[in-house]
Amino acid sequence: MGVNKEPIDVLIERQQKEPETVAKEKLDIILKAVELKVPSRVPISGLGGDIMAYYNGKTWYDICYGFEKAREAVLSFAKNFPQDFPFILAPYGLEGFIFALAFSEFPDFSNTIRFLTGPVHDIIRDKWTRWPGRELREHQHPQFLGGEFMKPEEYKQLIDDPVKFVHDVVFPRACPGLGKPKSPQWNGTLIRIGLTLQRITQFQMALFQELGKLGYPAIPMTSAYSPADVIGDFLRHPTGAMLDMRRHPDDFKAACEALIEHILKVATAFPPAPPLTISFIPLHLNEMLSPKLYNEFYWPYLKKVILELVNKGYKMFIFFEGDHTPHVDTILELPKGWGVAWFERPRDFIKDVWEKLKGHTCVMGGVPTNLLIGGTPEKIEEYVKNLLNQTKSEGGFILSTGIAELPKETPKQNVRAYVNAALKYGE
Amino acid sequence: MSSSEEFVNAILELEEEKALKIARERLEAGEDPLKILDDLKVAAEKVGEKYEKGEFFVADLVMAGEIMKGVSELVRPKLKELGKAREPIGKLVIGTVEGDIHDIGKNIAVTMAEASGFEVIDLGVDVPPQKFVEAIKQHNPEVVGMSGLLTLAIESMKKTVDAIKEAGLRDKVKIIIGGGRVDEYAKEYLGADAWTNDAAKGIRIMLGWVGGKKV
Repeated sequence: MGVNKEPIDVLIERQQKEPETVAKEKLDIILKAVELKVPSRVPISGLGGDIMAYYNGKTWYDICYGFEKAREAVLSFAKNFPQDFPFILAPYGLEGFIFALAFSEFPDFSNTIRFLTGPVHDIIRDKWTRWPGRELREHQHPQFLGGEFMKPEEYKQLIDDPVKFVHDVVFPRACPGLGKPKSPQWNGTLIRIGLTLQRITQFQMALFQELGKLGYPAIPMTSAYSPADVIGDFLRHPTGAMLDMRRHPDDFKAACEALIEHILKVATAFPPAPPLTISFIPLHLNEMLSPKLYNEFYWPYLKKVILELVNKGYKMFIFFEGDHTPHVDTILELPKGWGVAWFERPRDFIKDVWEKLKGHTCVMGGVPTNLLIGGTPEKIEEYVKNLLNQTKSEGGFILSTGIAELPKETPKQNVRAYVNAALKYGE
Repeated sequence: MSSSEEFVNAILELEEEKALKIARERLEAGEDPLKILDDLKVAAEKVGEKYEKGEFFVADLVMAGEIMKGVSELVRPKLKELGKAREPIGKLVIGTVEGDIHDIGKNIAVTMAEASGFEVIDLGVDVPPQKFVEAIKQHNPEVVGMSGLLTLAIESMKKTVDAIKEAGLRDKVKIIIGGGRVDEYAKEYLGADAWTNDAAKGIRIMLGWVGGKKV
């Protein structure tokens, strides 16, 4: 190495030499940010995606199905591109909250089955997702497609007993691999899912231990969901959900209300442990709705979920997909310090998000993903410096890209420039 | 208010039943179905304007599209019965590019383009470059639309544009790309003629391209 080490190289070295100290430092600055205080350095997040796989010469198929290869990719990426608050799914997972909901009465595994993985997809052959080496080519990113697995006239059944409805009606339609309910194939397949989940859990526990040895703190996380997104993502397809809000408004609202109880069961599967337990919700329909629809069909039910969990001592971590700008004000209805809000692409991060929420909400984001893909190291440094100068003295900020999905074409020097600038100007 | 204005307003207010009822009544009264289609074109344009102004959101476009589709379905058999057809103002070949299977955005673009008077050849999702090339040869469109949500779609769009170039068809078509992650940078990189993440704006760009053919 040269004489003039860059800040990122110093951190890479420290991560390996004194992992426990570094993990503690990382956890400390995350805690400070979540508590809306000023940390000793602004935490860094938002790195992941194709780049993680391809930087290590792996395909998406490897990351989804080859546990050993996924492990190598994750560890090598975590080592070379340090961040404080990483969001790692290995083996890769797609939206699968419907399974958590279906098994909400089983706190010991409802959160384990929450993300759909390639191996589980192979067993149930669900129609919600598409996987590399299966429906997609090996180099292609796994994709959540969703679909329509419930007819509008079935809302009543869903409202009466959401869990029973998912098992009796939705699973047979969406998961042909399960076969007919109560058949030998159905029962056998469920056992096979259990065995697979066990394998995945063991792998993940070992992986998190290894990440600990690389200076990454372990933060326990449960899963929650926005009731309206359960309908849009898994039952009616987003298009169907949006039409139902106009054609069957009362049914839609009653269904959202009925789902809350079960979502909360999943999210409280294990109690919050100090200093920090997070409950994660990715939002999907939010950007597509007008404030009128959002405030009538989406927010009231999501808000109930959030308030209940915050009351119980969890901190929320919410991914506001797309452009959440029209709905940002509603966040102020939540109690101060409720959690972390991650914004994908607000129109004007400082004006529309930061200025409105600072001091009330821990805000995460601020760096357009396209800047890392198409910018230059100089431009990135300038951008991050400017952003941090506007945010760091206030506290309650986590620097991140809009979505942790960097394509394989993303220049490595750009990712390094991002981390370097964050370390240089974040103190 | 004329029944025509009332009809357009019902669509803009997203009142599905009312809009369909007026369309039915107008057809039953023996009105020229082409006039209803003309109104649909006006409505599509105004829906687009509302979206651009931030008054409409995707959910509103989806509902408006559904109403316009419903009206077209009422009008179509009547047109056939009368032996009439509407001269399309242009042809659009559109699809979600290879590797990407998302279609909400593409479907909105299809409905809006049809309502605006385009003949649309919808190739569906995960469309390989060669299929775009074949469709261009077969249908001879003025415009090719490529849609995609994922970042990987950018690479697929580039491959598709390259395949169109190789087939010697690049000068015959205008290419527009659309989707959540396309931007000016992507447009330059892959060699399209225009980009949009707003179906309404996309339709206006396309109308500009085929403008000379407008009756």
